[in-house]
Amino acid sequence: MEWIVLLLAAVLLPVFPLSWIFNRLIGSAPGPWGRALAILVLPQLGVLLLYHTGPLALLLLPLSLQRIWLMLVLFTSVFYAFRAVSAREISIWSRLMASSGLTLSWLLVANGAQVHSVALFVLALSLPAALLMIWAGMLSDRMGGAYLGLQGGLATVLPRLSALITLSALALVATPIFPSFFGLLQVFHRLDLAWLWPLLLLLLIWGWSAGRFLQDLLFGIYRGEPMVDLSLGITWIGAVVLFFFALSGLIWSGAWTGI
Amino acid sequence: MDPLAIIVPFVPALAALLIFAVLRHSKPGAARLSVLATLVTFLLSLILLGNYVAVGLPRVEYIGQIWGSIWLDPLTLIMWAFVSGISLLVHMYSVRYMIEEPNYPRFFAMLDLMTATILFMVSAADLITLLVAWFLVGVLLYFLLGHDTDRPASGRYAFWTQITYRVGDLPLWLAAFILYKSYHSLALPVIFAQIAAAPNAVQIWGMTVPAWTGILVALAAFARSAQFLLHGWLPYTMDGPTPVSALMHAGIVNAGGFLFNRFAPIFEYTGLALHIAFVVGLITAVVGSALMLIQNDVKRSLGYSTMGQMGFMVMECGLGAFPLAVFHLIAHGFFKASLFLGAGNAIGDARANDGVPPDPIYVYIVERRPTKPLRLPWLTAAALTILVPVLVLSLSHFFVATHLFFEQGVIVLLFFAWVTGAQALFAAHKMTHTNPWQLMGGILGSFVLVVIGYTLISHYFARFLYSHEASLRLYASASIGILSYEVLMIILALLFVGGWVLTFFGDAQNLGERISQRWHGGYLAIYALLSRELYINDLYVRVTQLLLSASRRLNVWLRWS
Repeated sequence: MEWIVLLLAAVLLPVFPLSWIFNRLIGSAPGPWGRALAILVLPQLGVLLLYHTGPLALLLLPLSLQRIWLMLVLFTSVFYAFRAVSAREISIWSRLMASSGLTLSWLLVANGAQVHSVALFVLALSLPAALLMIWAGMLSDRMGGAYLGLQGGLATVLPRLSALITLSALALVATPIFPSFFGLLQVFHRLDLAWLWPLLLLLLIWGWSAGRFLQDLLFGIYRGEPMVDLSLGITWIGAVVLFFFALSGLIWSGAWTGI
Repeated sequence: MDPLAIIVPFVPALAALLIFAVLRHSKPGAARLSVLATLVTFLLSLILLGNYVAVGLPRVEYIGQIWGSIWLDPLTLIMWAFVSGISLLVHMYSVRYMIEEPNYPRFFAMLDLMTATILFMVSAADLITLLVAWFLVGVLLYFLLGHDTDRPASGRYAFWTQITYRVGDLPLWLAAFILYKSYHSLALPVIFAQIAAAPNAVQIWGMTVPAWTGILVALAAFARSAQFLLHGWLPYTMDGPTPVSALMHAGIVNAGGFLFNRFAPIFEYTGLALHIAFVVGLITAVVGSALMLIQNDVKRSLGYSTMGQMGFMVMECGLGAFPLAVFHLIAHGFFKASLFLGAGNAIGDARANDGVPPDPIYVYIVERRPTKPLRLPWLTAAALTILVPVLVLSLSHFFVATHLFFEQGVIVLLFFAWVTGAQALFAAHKMTHTNPWQLMGGILGSFVLVVIGYTLISHYFARFLYSHEASLRLYASASIGILSYEVLMIILALLFVGGWVLTFFGDAQNLGERISQRWHGGYLAIYALLSRELYINDLYVRVTQLLLSASRRLNVWLRWS
């Protein structure tokens, strides 16, 4: 039974190779709103499964297996971040990056974090990913696809949408003052020093990935058909969500850091 | 709680928020608010600094419960005044310079956010505040350098800066967590007090915690201050707007020197990191200066000059002269800001004057000046060049702080000051002048004034920043074995004296031309190597391309899931 719980949770809080199923599930959800909902809900279901189906499945494993599991988690995280570097479609990029981040929740679970702590950590990563799915849908409506790098200079032609995509991407890659930054601090805080090295590599790859993503989004001269930017209302809603998300990172940083 | 101290970093942050919220479409309103906020920040910083000089004691102010504390010590107050001063200059310059650029209000808002973040960074009294601010500086700089989104080049070089900064963030993360897990506190003053009480009490991976954190902090500083192998981004930041280049080269790039000083209580107990810093700084100073000399673009040349200066600053830290590094970064900040902001005028002058060397016959007949330069005899000039700087430097240090003569770091620094002084005199010797004695006398007089002023200021600066005991501990930490040190000094002295005599002799006998003719191939090879910036950026680009290609292949193989 524990093994089944563990494997199901490894699909929802993606661990390689089961992370492939998670990505398939997100990718096949209907429309951008469906994908956004899926990326918000599925990892939370994973947390519920782990904490509310009896004893924690992971902690029942022998210590040697736990170590192998955690190494697999770190590999998954670095592996998906590395793959995201070459992704050019916004929703693919965001689900690969989300997979890279969400898998770290296992490190919290293994180190005795409380359920609300893990759920907050998961939310800190899945909310910006969900927002990116929605912005990707809106970009796709205008351009026929949400591929970056094909048309440069979206910041000039779609300044509002570009600003929201930029802020959401920054929120996803653990940029201060967003909650994902403090969530990552919590992971660092709970791990032994010897385990921190792969996480440093992960931070480097996230930075690289975000840099490439923004470079393709913002810079260059747009030479395509004229496009209509987001309405002021939608822009305000997006900005307010991101503002309160960042504010919650600042105000409840203690809950996210666990320090 | 001192509200005056706490509001300093919040003033520019508030201005940025107001611009984003209500002044996004008002160019004059955004500029006025931004300049006013920076002016207020600068004045408040000066008041706090003055207050500290008069009666103050270092203290920590808390904004949040876990993090968000501000350390009001001499280093913070000096850095606040310096950062807000440079920022004010850049703001005032930008008001007219950026007026025709798109997103003018956003530019000012970003400048304000950057100013606020740097103010938080230099005053952070806990590890989380330091990490947050340290990270954010890299992110904000990316957007400031990439302000002109129409140019793909500005995006490319902003990315180079961002990724190098990220490389520098990682050692600081690790250092922060090593300190936190070893001393169970986030507060820097608490951690430093524990280290001072028992420097070797905690060991990890075969070394003491101060040794590990010293090395990691030094690595973080190397990336921020463009040390060799992590310098490729710095000259290319010129693709950003000129005010950002000025802010970058005058302020942000100095973060390495600041970081060394903030963690000085750790470096008092670890020599290894300081020795590494000395070597890396020396290499950077030499490579940066060599690359500067071959540039034909004034701004690129200034960029490499910054690299050389940063190398020198890190080298000073490596020698234990921490307050001198702070003095250096402030002096360099102001002169580099003025050079950058005046670079446009220099380009205008160069366009007005063709720069063709004068025709000797015209010079002799029409201008009635000698065609062959009148110079002092080479032996006299060599003697003056070698002896005068060493005498002036030694005497000025002797009268100001005799005890420092027993510190290895001070002697090594005197060597470098000696070379610099000798270089100035040699340059004067090579100038054409009707009265060479008058020229040399003028240069010597200026040199004496500069050295005395520099010695006095750096001495009082050191007394303001560090206690006498802390200064001595830092010098002691940077010291090496006495035998190795003395051998090194003898070799250096022989090299310097021999080198200068040879230089003057070679100059008098025109040896340089003969050597360059004989070794023309080698000279060209070195020139090509330097002109391609030692192929370091090319190597990084190639490695990146290979990794990207591997990432793409993996994605195709796994069907992007």
